[in-house]
Amino acid sequence: MLKTPDWGMMIVFYFFLGGIAGGSYFTAAIADNFGGPRDRQVIRLGYWLSLPLVLICGILLIADLGVPARFLNMLFTFKFWDPMSIGAWMVGVFGLFSFLSCVLSLSSSEAMVTLRRKVSLVGTLAGFFLASYTGVLLSATALPFWSEARLMGALFLASGASTGMAAISLLLFLSGGSTGEAWGKVKRADRYSMILELVILAVFLGLLGSAAAPIIQGQFAPLFWGGLVVAGLVVPLVLDFVGSKAKTLVALSAILVLAGGFILRYVLLMSIQA
Amino acid sequence: MARTLAMFTDISLCIGCRACQVACKQWNELPMEDPEWTGTYQNHAHFTDKTYRLVRFVEKPQADGRLQWDLMSDVCKHCAQAGCLEACPTGAIYRTEYGTVNINQDACNGCRYCVSSCPFGVVAFNHDTGRASKCTFCNDRIHNGLGPACAKACPTESIQFGFRDELVAKAEKRVAKLKEMGYKEARLYGADSNDFLGGLNAFFLLLDKPGTYNLPDKPKLPQRNVFVDSLLSVGSAVLVGLGAIVAFRERGQGKGGGDNA
Repeated sequence: MLKTPDWGMMIVFYFFLGGIAGGSYFTAAIADNFGGPRDRQVIRLGYWLSLPLVLICGILLIADLGVPARFLNMLFTFKFWDPMSIGAWMVGVFGLFSFLSCVLSLSSSEAMVTLRRKVSLVGTLAGFFLASYTGVLLSATALPFWSEARLMGALFLASGASTGMAAISLLLFLSGGSTGEAWGKVKRADRYSMILELVILAVFLGLLGSAAAPIIQGQFAPLFWGGLVVAGLVVPLVLDFVGSKAKTLVALSAILVLAGGFILRYVLLMSIQA
Repeated sequence: MARTLAMFTDISLCIGCRACQVACKQWNELPMEDPEWTGTYQNHAHFTDKTYRLVRFVEKPQADGRLQWDLMSDVCKHCAQAGCLEACPTGAIYRTEYGTVNINQDACNGCRYCVSSCPFGVVAFNHDTGRASKCTFCNDRIHNGLGPACAKACPTESIQFGFRDELVAKAEKRVAKLKEMGYKEARLYGADSNDFLGGLNAFFLLLDKPGTYNLPDKPKLPQRNVFVDSLLSVGSAVLVGLGAIVAFRERGQGKGGGDNA
């Protein structure tokens, strides 16, 4: 009889916020390197959102250990093939890049902007890692529901991207920056991510087959189908196509995407843990 | 590395006395737990952080209406390729010079990744200490010339302790004899070091299919998934990145021109 690790809500929140942190960072970094002057607010919001989130991530991980000081035990070992080991290190590495990008975004001198772009290109890799490794971590266990399908990491990455972009979009709306062209770009990037997420999710469920039972049937099924697939992905995509002119609708769809990202982590983690 | 030590549990000799279970508790100073009703004489249902040896009482109804018991004393397998050991981010789970797998309690930080990485559901989380625990192969005893407490206590030599190569040879003779005696399903579980997580250092002689005793037919190393999953994550990252580049790209303008953010 296999055992589950008893990971609770702290880890659900960590997976969720880590995805947003990674997603918002690499969105900002891509806007920084490939966008134009009008994307300035997206860039700043993305960097500055990732920093507090990755800090919260670190706190959640440490708090989950029960005795906080024991997180130091992880720092005596580096196993590149072990998601738990490399992940713990990369939270720190990503935090460093996030911090650097934030500091560099305060200056508008030519040299600093150039440096920031270069830093963020490398940081993007850390962002991609942070958003996806938690999925790979789950799939490298003995539990069939987590390990039978090979797309958990890819799914988490797409979800991290869609929630990160939705978070930026929502912040743009709240800060009154929802008028410019940049908002349209974020929404467009978010749309691509959501479509990718839906496709990966479908293939993922197909690969899992009967092992998907914990989420496609039973008490977690309504949350999975209703909360994630319909409300968290399909409705925002429809809203995006139909009502993209109404700002409040776009903000609503961003909230739905964020809720869907949370539900994804919640059902994947909690459905097989007592 | 010293010669690999092993435990060989021959379930055809087990009488279900649970001396092994008790000896384990006593030697390792494991407190008692509330008994649980499992539907059979078996207690507990599974390994816990306080139960490292567990006698399984498998009831098999026969064609003539009688009940046959298969008694199987289960334990940590001390895999040559151990999922728990690979998963441990602190290096607390280590391999001893005798080939056994042990948890250094002081180094464990309680992340619980090993718990879900054991293909046999052996490793358990101790909520009192906040650390993972499992059978130690009586690490203190084997380093002082003694066999594990369970093997020492077994009155029928159902649990045997010794050098792995010698025990495997013995086990192969025993399984051949049982087959001769008409036990068609008799088989060794984990003795083969080519095809079984590199071989289990606690291996078994079973009288039926592994599933009968809650064992997987083919245990697999969880970390086998890391490489492919990582590659697919990279693929996903490339697609997400391309999508974002397409969305943010400034048409008709050089890359990064004129930004004074």
